[in-house]
Amino acid sequence: MYKTTGFISFLFRRVSGMALVFYLFMHIWVIGSATGGAEAFDARMATVQAPLFRLLEVALLTAVVYHGFDGIRLLIVHWFKVTEYRKSLFYAMFVLFILVSIVGGVPLLLFALEGN
Amino acid sequence: MAKNGQTQNVTIRVQRFNPDVDAKPYLASYEIEATADTTLLDALEQIKATLDGSLTFRRSCRHAICGSCAMNVNGRNMLVCNRRVNALLDRRGRVTIRPLPYLPIIKDLVVDRTSFWEQYLRVKPWLIPPENGAAPAGEYRVLPAEVEALKMAETCIMCGACYSACQVVAMNKQYIGPHALLKAFLRVLDPRDAAPAERLEIVGGDDGVFRCHTIFNCIDACPKGLDPTFAIETLRKLAQKRLAFAAERVERQKSLGTGRDA
Amino acid sequence: MRVFVMQRLTAVALVLFLTLHMIVVHYPPGHLDFSRVMERLANPVWKVIDILFLLAVLIHALTGAYAVLMDVERVTPYKRMLVGTAVLLGLIAFAYGTATILAFNTF
Ligand code: SF4
Ligand code: FES
Repeated sequence: MYKTTGFISFLFRRVSGMALVFYLFMHIWVIGSATGGAEAFDARMATVQAPLFRLLEVALLTAVVYHGFDGIRLLIVHWFKVTEYRKSLFYAMFVLFILVSIVGGVPLLLFALEGN
Repeated sequence: MAKNGQTQNVTIRVQRFNPDVDAKPYLASYEIEATADTTLLDALEQIKATLDGSLTFRRSCRHAICGSCAMNVNGRNMLVCNRRVNALLDRRGRVTIRPLPYLPIIKDLVVDRTSFWEQYLRVKPWLIPPENGAAPAGEYRVLPAEVEALKMAETCIMCGACYSACQVVAMNKQYIGPHALLKAFLRVLDPRDAAPAERLEIVGGDDGVFRCHTIFNCIDACPKGLDPTFAIETLRKLAQKRLAFAAERVERQKSLGTGRDA
Repeated sequence: MRVFVMQRLTAVALVLFLTLHMIVVHYPPGHLDFSRVMERLANPVWKVIDILFLLAVLIHALTGAYAVLMDVERVTPYKRMLVGTAVLLGLIAFAYGTATILAFNTF
């Protein structure tokens, strides 16, 4: 395996991407129940409000934030001639990702641990 | 670290594999004497001459121009003839040399480069000059700015370090690969080349530039400091305006003999 | 090339849509309830935004999954099948999702 920052970013991008594809279809299905009225919606919502899912929500946020920032980084590489700064760009993106994940993730985590 | 002239004992670990005998590649350790100037290639030669004559590796020019000695040293692809042992010792004072990754091993450090060359040929790496009527009578004159835009891509030595470092190549050998895309970039941007549309079609296809995932391993691996990723990004943009670009080229070639922009 | 372009265009769209989505749906943080979603989606402007969002996210997800699979050498011969499945899946999910978004009218 050729382990570089580029490889790590690629691995995370793929893993988060695939996780998000699964989430997306689940999300469409869950929200789809809304057509059945408030009861049906709440019933399906209840399944995904279990503590386990709340923890998964934190993972979801992390995945979205990573994938988003990594994507922005790639767009920057596409549009500007910045291959020279590839490492700094990656580290900058990673720091941003960690920061935003903490800011967004901690309230979610507290909410999950609180139960209810 | 040995000073000039002084020798130092170092351990070189080399991945060995003889398909006739071994089921799997394994690492063998060799103790050699190195000075501050000993290159990795010198170390390999020393092992072959004094410790194990059966060690097999490719080399030719010994000064970083033939491209035959690319190997994987401590997990990174590089030429072994222009790197010093001294600078590559790991924390435990060893150097580990393996063949280029993701390619079939023929023996020891020699890999099968068939796919590398096959992909290379796919991009028609040669210059396709304008048809007789359109070619200038005298010499071709290219502007300094046009040469600069090639980003030294012509200095590629076809060593395969980038190709074998590429994660996309590792997953799918149908991918054209950084070395060949860099060459395609060189030809597409060359004002003397008359076939940019055809090239961009190949390069813009399923196995070409749009399959790159911008991992940058090729840049990190290149011993000549070239930038295949930049080449790929450029080709991506040009592939999207392929015909317009080809038309521009036709215009440009009208003044190829004078060295002035049309 | 088409897949790539589709993916980058939707990527740009998603950066905007998703930021918006996160803010309106999850801020302030806390329990999501049905009425809040309903209220918002009763507004036709939000309906349009959400349908576009759905379209972008589906294209992005399916082209992404397609790229992941096509990177595996053994899968490449099944290109046509993959494209077909992706289009079909996309259409079904889009129809289902759009129906959901539009249905918020009736409450
Ligand atoms: S681009 Fe660099 S790494 Fe790749 S073949 Fe040429 S010289 Fe070797
Ligand atoms: S031996 Fe020629 S490049 Fe190293």
